[in-house]
Amino acid sequence: MNFKNLFVTALRALNRNKMRSALTSIGIIIGVSSVIMMIGIGNSARIAVREKIFTYGANAMSVYDSKKPLTLRDVENIDRLLPQIRYISPFVYKSYILTKGGGQFIYSRLYGVNNDFFKIKSWPLMNGRYFTEREIAASEKVVIIGNSVRTELFGYTNPVGEVLNVDGLPFKIVGLLTEMGQALSGRDFDNVLIVPHTTAAMKIMGKRTFDEIYVSTYSETEIDETVDKLKEYFRRTHAIPPGKINDFKIKTSKEKLQMVKYISNTLSILLAGIASISLFVGGVGIMNIMLVSVSERTREIGIRMAIGAKKRDILTQFLIESVTLSGAGGIVGMLLGLGVYYLIIFFVDWPFIFSFFSIIVAFFFSCAVGIFFGYYPARKAADLKPIEALRYE
Amino acid sequence: MVNNLIEISDLYKIYPISEEISVHALQGVSLSIKRGEFVSIMGASGSGKSTFMNILGFLDTPTTGRYVLDGIDGSTLNYDEKAEIRNRKIGFVFQGFNLLSRTSAIENVELPLLYMGGITTREMKDKARKYLGMIGLAGREHHHPSELSGGEQQRVAIARALVNEPAIIFADEPTGNLDTKNTEDIMNLFTSLNHDLGITIILVTHEPEVAEYTRRKVIFRDGHIIEDSPVKKRKKAGMKKR
Repeated sequence: MNFKNLFVTALRALNRNKMRSALTSIGIIIGVSSVIMMIGIGNSARIAVREKIFTYGANAMSVYDSKKPLTLRDVENIDRLLPQIRYISPFVYKSYILTKGGGQFIYSRLYGVNNDFFKIKSWPLMNGRYFTEREIAASEKVVIIGNSVRTELFGYTNPVGEVLNVDGLPFKIVGLLTEMGQALSGRDFDNVLIVPHTTAAMKIMGKRTFDEIYVSTYSETEIDETVDKLKEYFRRTHAIPPGKINDFKIKTSKEKLQMVKYISNTLSILLAGIASISLFVGGVGIMNIMLVSVSERTREIGIRMAIGAKKRDILTQFLIESVTLSGAGGIVGMLLGLGVYYLIIFFVDWPFIFSFFSIIVAFFFSCAVGIFFGYYPARKAADLKPIEALRYE
Repeated sequence: MVNNLIEISDLYKIYPISEEISVHALQGVSLSIKRGEFVSIMGASGSGKSTFMNILGFLDTPTTGRYVLDGIDGSTLNYDEKAEIRNRKIGFVFQGFNLLSRTSAIENVELPLLYMGGITTREMKDKARKYLGMIGLAGREHHHPSELSGGEQQRVAIARALVNEPAIIFADEPTGNLDTKNTEDIMNLFTSLNHDLGITIILVTHEPEVAEYTRRKVIFRDGHIIEDSPVKKRKKAGMKKR
């Protein structure tokens, strides 16, 4: 008997029990749809977090935790020595700065940087302007504020031009950053005051050295090389003999990305693992129904055998039935999973990632479930003896 | 040249019940049937006639003895080869009709062709339609068994037995579930299939009137053939108007 005929026969059999077939497939539908959904959400979360990390700065890295002070001389030297560097900014920070304005107060973080910093971080302005060269050179008391500082102190008005009291000193607000949202840790990116590094050094910190030096390259491919060059530079200037460990650290956005990727992959696997349990349960459901079906149709099997069906014909027919149940469940589950995934993504405003691979895998996996759980009932059908099957009431 | 379509010698069938007890369903049966014969097999229940038929139909295997159908020795065949013989050389008609329920008449008739291979769907349909027409059910191809009378169902079963153009038809109590009128119709149909198409038919029955349609009567008792004789006052097909 050829495959097409077996397929038609199997479809007819399933069609005779529409309700039962549909109910049997539900297990697989739920299993496949949750796998598709979980993998999709995992992928989207990864992209969403990746975009957040890019607000940390694309192709960015920073030198920090240096035992010897980082100076303006280092900044100038690095800028001169490494042509692949596109932006470079000194970075000092102080947390928990008392900030007053508009009759309110807030504790904020304060960064001292140059204008390159905004490019490295990709932090655009919503209102106002960046610092002028003169303001940086003259350590003027100007500040660009994050959105949380504005809303806490000035509500939703435009704060540019207002005066802000930072750590007891009056600062003029020249710019307002676009809202960035929260870090995964819950830290508010927007509760921030940014002043020229010269102003921070002279007026607030009382020191001329930097906590970090931020750097970004033209392209992602230059990151590794730049990290090496930076290490080379600081080992030389800090006079570290070969074999001794660095007295400074360099972190890159790439490392953060890798970590996030690792976490989200682990999470995806875990979720998909849980979801596949329901696929297993669905498979057991198929096996159960196929066993019922075989014993119900014993006489039919006997008739088919009497008129010439071989063992293989019966086996294949029942296997096709179970694979059709699980495969159809797989397709419906796939569509349902994609639909629900799309809906969830739509509401949390994450990017929709269409993973062809996960769909193919889910589909073949559901077919495999059909074969695996359908084999035993099909074997049982094929092993019936024709006369006994014919006599079965 | 094989003269005899069926050649049986010294056939035994023993069912072991326990270590000491066993049932001897057939005890040394020998029989030859020529092409074109119309044979009835009779006997009380438990006489071994059903076991005998199952063996003839390759549905069961004898414990010992030789059975040759159309030159093929049954003892040399494996399961699938027997399935193929059943498919190509044998047509079955059962007492309970054994049609697939919720399956149309034409699909039931097609069934043997499905397992035959090398035949297109179109040819299958044509053949099934031809035989349904031959047994007088043209126009009812798409009726399900539940929508047909007992006699009509048995006709569908006969069409199914004919569709693979078998060398022989085995009918096991084909009229057992039918009333007198339908019994006559079915037996007339068998008679004309045998007479007009030359199909060999072996028919198991316990009704003497049914056996009278056949040309040769074989009677079983306790696993032996106790009588094998031509039917003398034979009922003629078509003598009664349908």
